[in-house]
Amino acid sequence: MGAKLRRREAITGYALLAPSLFGVVAFLVLPIFVVLWLAFQDWDLLGPLQFVGLDNFASVLTDAQFGRSLLVTLLFVLLVIPVQTGLGLFAASLLTRGLPGSTVLRTIYVLPWICAPLALGVVWKWIFAPTDGALNALLGFRVEWLSNPDLALPAVAAVTIWSQVGYVTLFFMAGLTSIPDMFLEAARIDGASPWQIFWRIKVPLLRPTTFFVLVTGIISSFQVFDTVYALTPNGGPQGSTDVIAARIYYEAFDSFDLGRASVMALVLLVLLVGVTLLQQLYFRRRITYEQT
Amino acid sequence: MSRRDRPGGRDRPGVLATMAIYTVLLIGAAITLGPFVLSVMTSFKSPGQFAREPALSLPAPFTLENYAQLFGPRVDFSRAVLVTFLVVLVVTAGQIAFSVLAAYAFARMRFPGREALFWVYLATLMVPAIVTLIPLYLLLTESGLRNTFWALVLPFAFGSPYAIFLLCEYFRGIPQELIDAARLDGAGTLVTLVDVVVPLSRPILATLTLITVVTHWNNFLWPLIVTSGEQWRVVTVATANLQSQYNGNWTLVMAATTLAIAPLLILFLIFQRQIVRSISITGFR
Repeated sequence: MGAKLRRREAITGYALLAPSLFGVVAFLVLPIFVVLWLAFQDWDLLGPLQFVGLDNFASVLTDAQFGRSLLVTLLFVLLVIPVQTGLGLFAASLLTRGLPGSTVLRTIYVLPWICAPLALGVVWKWIFAPTDGALNALLGFRVEWLSNPDLALPAVAAVTIWSQVGYVTLFFMAGLTSIPDMFLEAARIDGASPWQIFWRIKVPLLRPTTFFVLVTGIISSFQVFDTVYALTPNGGPQGSTDVIAARIYYEAFDSFDLGRASVMALVLLVLLVGVTLLQQLYFRRRITYEQT
Repeated sequence: MSRRDRPGGRDRPGVLATMAIYTVLLIGAAITLGPFVLSVMTSFKSPGQFAREPALSLPAPFTLENYAQLFGPRVDFSRAVLVTFLVVLVVTAGQIAFSVLAAYAFARMRFPGREALFWVYLATLMVPAIVTLIPLYLLLTESGLRNTFWALVLPFAFGSPYAIFLLCEYFRGIPQELIDAARLDGAGTLVTLVDVVVPLSRPILATLTLITVVTHWNNFLWPLIVTSGEQWRVVTVATANLQSQYNGNWTLVMAATTLAIAPLLILFLIFQRQIVRSISITGFR
């Protein structure tokens, strides 16, 4: 009787799981194996696939253009992450002082984050336009924001920061308001200045929030595509904005070299998993150290 | 009640500091809103005025001709809007329904392999979308589904591991007595799910619905790859095409971006509180 009931429960369980299991296997697990397999093939989307061994790995890993893409992506992450984290923490510390209007301002800051990055990218492409764009009209002189190889990547980074600061702010606000009053009171009684309270008490206590914001920020910045595609298509001036995701896209759907594109995708996967593990390790050690 | 005791008042600064803080915050708000205001303004200008006057001038006369052109015979966004709307509808309905089923199985049923399967679902969260892009393209092309409506929805409509994970956490918090009571009344698993579990989970379901709608209205790279031509173009892809085709025709292009952004802005204004809360709960994207 019990065994029969258990079997019925198991069958119901599998039945409930079936649709999502199909989705997960077909569209998430299987593709990982297919991309691994494609990395060893030569394929141009139309003709037959041909096994080429490690040729794609050899050609991608010695490709100067791919090397530059890695560098551009790293530079992009280094431009975006510190600025958006710093600005987010700053905004959150101003918005958690119980001043009227804080909720409305918070909502305004989050606004760009829910909009299509592609559409926002196109809006900013006009703002940056050299002759009839809004930014040069505001400044009163002409700057080639998107066609100057030195300015293109910072411009793309600025748009990314602009659209993500609100998101970061939101998490720091939640983190700051969850700090128990008693810690701050104790510090005040001990005569700590607001500056000391911020750096010595609030920032260390915010570590879990900081961890979350950094991990999600770095992972999404490593994959940036829509904004770059809208602002500076085809790798930007002299390839200065040719981030990895864009490189993979152009390699696959412009040069029709699916094998090489698959190798690049695998490199990105390894990098991202590596970043996640490293950050886990670093923060776990720091957090436990502080608690003991 | 002293100033110190007021909620949120512990850090309340003096008058000068307050003014400085507001100044900084308002500059931030202006920078955040500026691009929206400017692009909407430009979309209401005539191309003639845009060419003659500085970029920051107000629309005079105020015109809807860019929007008329956007839905006119040459450009026509109406099909793209319809397709995007249907994609969002089907993906959201499928994702919520199938995620609820799976989450209930993980949270409340016992079956062999449950832990292992849950671990597989969780592990897929680590896989970046761009990595599965090429194999997915191959898969759908080989199935003859490239450039169809199904190509746009199938990869997302069977539930999302992240939604399942969040729902599972929520379902585990529902008191077992409520479920047992329904069981004793003779309700089957599906009836219990629909009559007891779903009504108790309205907040998290609302959160997931909003997130799914926003994500898929904004989706760009996958539709860009898997569709070609006008038949199954979504709004983001249509906007990107318009921008490269009518480069420099900014009044028309800004009408397109306004159209791509407006539905979400309206949604955001209505559900502002829920969306902000949803982001903090899930940290989505």
